[in-house]
Amino acid sequence: MMPDDPSTFEIELEGTLRDIGIPPRPEILDRIAAEMNKDEPDFNELAHIISADVALSASLIKITNSSFFGFRSRVHSVNEALMVLGLDVASRAVAGIVLRRIFPESPRLERFWDASARIARLSGWLAQRVTPNTLRPDEAYTFGLFRDCGIPVMFARYPGYLGILAEANHEADKSFTTVEDDHLPTNHAIVGCLMAQNWWLTEETCLSIRYHHEVSIIETPTIPPTMNSRCLVAVAQLAEYLLQQQTGLSHTREWDKLGSASLRLLNLAEEDMAQLVAEAKAVIEAAE
Amino acid sequence: MIWKSNFSMAVCQGDCNGVLSHKNMSSNDIAAMPPEPKQNQITSVIAIDLATGFFERSGSFSLIAELAKYVTRESTLALLWIDLDRFKQINDSLGHYGGDTVIAQIALRLHSKTGEFAEWCRMAGDEYLCILPVSDPGQAHQLAFELLRVIEAPLPVGDMLLRPSASIGVAVLEVGEDPFVCLERADRAMSTAKRAGGARVVISGDEPVPGRLGIVLAREELDMENKLHVALENGGLSLHYQPIVSFDGRIEAVEALMRCEVGGSNIPPGKFIPIAEKTGLISRLGDWSLLAGASFANRLDKAGYRTKVAVNVSRAQLASRDFAKALHAALACANVNPELIELELTESLFMDISTVVQSNLRAALDAGLGLAIDDFGTGYSCLANLKDIPATKIKLDRAFVIVLPHDRRAFAVVKALTQLGSELGMTVVAEGVEEQEQLDSLREAGVHAIQGYFHARPMPEEALLQWLQLRSAK
Repeated sequence: MMPDDPSTFEIELEGTLRDIGIPPRPEILDRIAAEMNKDEPDFNELAHIISADVALSASLIKITNSSFFGFRSRVHSVNEALMVLGLDVASRAVAGIVLRRIFPESPRLERFWDASARIARLSGWLAQRVTPNTLRPDEAYTFGLFRDCGIPVMFARYPGYLGILAEANHEADKSFTTVEDDHLPTNHAIVGCLMAQNWWLTEETCLSIRYHHEVSIIETPTIPPTMNSRCLVAVAQLAEYLLQQQTGLSHTREWDKLGSASLRLLNLAEEDMAQLVAEAKAVIEAAE
Repeated sequence: MIWKSNFSMAVCQGDCNGVLSHKNMSSNDIAAMPPEPKQNQITSVIAIDLATGFFERSGSFSLIAELAKYVTRESTLALLWIDLDRFKQINDSLGHYGGDTVIAQIALRLHSKTGEFAEWCRMAGDEYLCILPVSDPGQAHQLAFELLRVIEAPLPVGDMLLRPSASIGVAVLEVGEDPFVCLERADRAMSTAKRAGGARVVISGDEPVPGRLGIVLAREELDMENKLHVALENGGLSLHYQPIVSFDGRIEAVEALMRCEVGGSNIPPGKFIPIAEKTGLISRLGDWSLLAGASFANRLDKAGYRTKVAVNVSRAQLASRDFAKALHAALACANVNPELIELELTESLFMDISTVVQSNLRAALDAGLGLAIDDFGTGYSCLANLKDIPATKIKLDRAFVIVLPHDRRAFAVVKALTQLGSELGMTVVAEGVEEQEQLDSLREAGVHAIQGYFHARPMPEEALLQWLQLRSAK
């Protein structure tokens, strides 16, 4: 779950976050939504809105050109990026870029976001590698970024969350969110789902966030969530595992709980893992 | 490459290489061009569309009529009408040459999928028709889904990679049916698929079709469900706020009312709420409005207005085991003082004795939220139960208000209910107040606060903040 060692999250981080309000939704998303909601959205106007933010524009172009987004073309302007991605995907890409901006800067939080970004990239790659024609890489990428966005909010609101997080990470039987529920009135999956919904992410992404610690969701075909949602959860879980294999840091029991179900859903066998670990290493290195 | 036609009625009119000779065409594009039509075995002359190599629309009718002659109970024809989604955008972005390339490449994919088993026509700019001999309608349905998948594969155009999708309507010709009626059915099914958001197959005769959540809906309902999904994913939802004003001039609360806008037009709550309830989407809309309302309460608080925000909660939400968690998640995300949030519920929900509803009500109270009984006095009012209801506010239904001040019996009821509510420690609000006379009458009855056009209509966040500022300035 926590891609980083929870013990490195220092207590003062809780304080930093608690005092600072987290904006419910960045204004840029509202402006994009307003344009998208028109009968005939104006690409130029949207490009104009995004281009006003230089860092955002640069990140959007970079993401569009990245291999994990699944597009082979190279774009050079926001306008081209919008055209290649389409408005829906572009809007979600922007959401992913601004996600970490809304939280206060802190070295510890940076590490959390960096790990999320790696999981996102690996998820985008895995979508192409193990679920071609099922998952869209951009969707898997966005899910990877947002999957744990509830965690910083929980830190901000619930003193003592650090200890609960450590307990959940070490829990061998109960699901991660059950441990949170044992101590708190809500959990990071529900918070993340609500936040994603409020950021206008797709229904599948929201539901996948909501259920990403529940093995029954991966194993049992029910609607909703859709097959896509279940694959999203499995792919991101695999991405997290591959990352942990690469960094040698493994502080969670999530793969023990969700790993075999994820592999079954993705039609992978244990024997495939060595190859995937090696390929994932190259993917991470290429992106950094 | 050889164009193989089962019925081989095609003849190429004009220059078949016309498109290929385009000076900007790359070798990739040439490889992607559809096969040339065969030029023999002519029984009649049907024009070929140069961009796709398919029969032109004008010829499709005689082709269908000709093929329909051979239909039997064992072997019939299926018509698959395929319309590319968002093609106008592709044309606008890539220019008409780019658009033509997309049309040609998709045609190639379609033809490769069916091989010589089907005839293909181009019906309009971005519309194709597949005429498929079938012995079982299931074959046509299967093919339609496969074609959709083939279309949806990423498509390189120049140095861009697009993600096309399509709406497909399928109709199977019945024995004795006029083939053109069947063609119209395919077209209508395609339109249904398009209205439902595209990227799907609709089988003629199967309408109404299941929505995204698997619930079977009539066409208009399906259309509405799709609009709600679009609103949820594209930012078409918003809350408007109507002030509730005390007789001492204080803003008692603001009620959050959901608005839904899709494609530039507003959908009235009376239309979208019933569909949301039927499909279960109401829970998602409800969760969304909890967070949006709570966030606004925080914003008001920061702006110096300690005004409560009242959010409507549906039965589906309150009957959910996850309601309390979703409520706390909204409070956590919005970072708001729970006392600034009030939940509005109908009377019947308070009377619900199910343990889930009861424990959710308790959780809301324990978290510090206020509970208001909406539309009080018109539903399942049972005064005996009122003593057990943990509400902090009752909102008298507008039906009592519109007849004031002339209906003295209504006045007596309002006065008695107000007294009762006050004795139980509740705030009593009257809804739907539009006239000064009504206001005077309600004041006389002892009502604490009023809501209605008399003070203000529901308005967006910014407008409400301005309204509050103006009011403070006075």
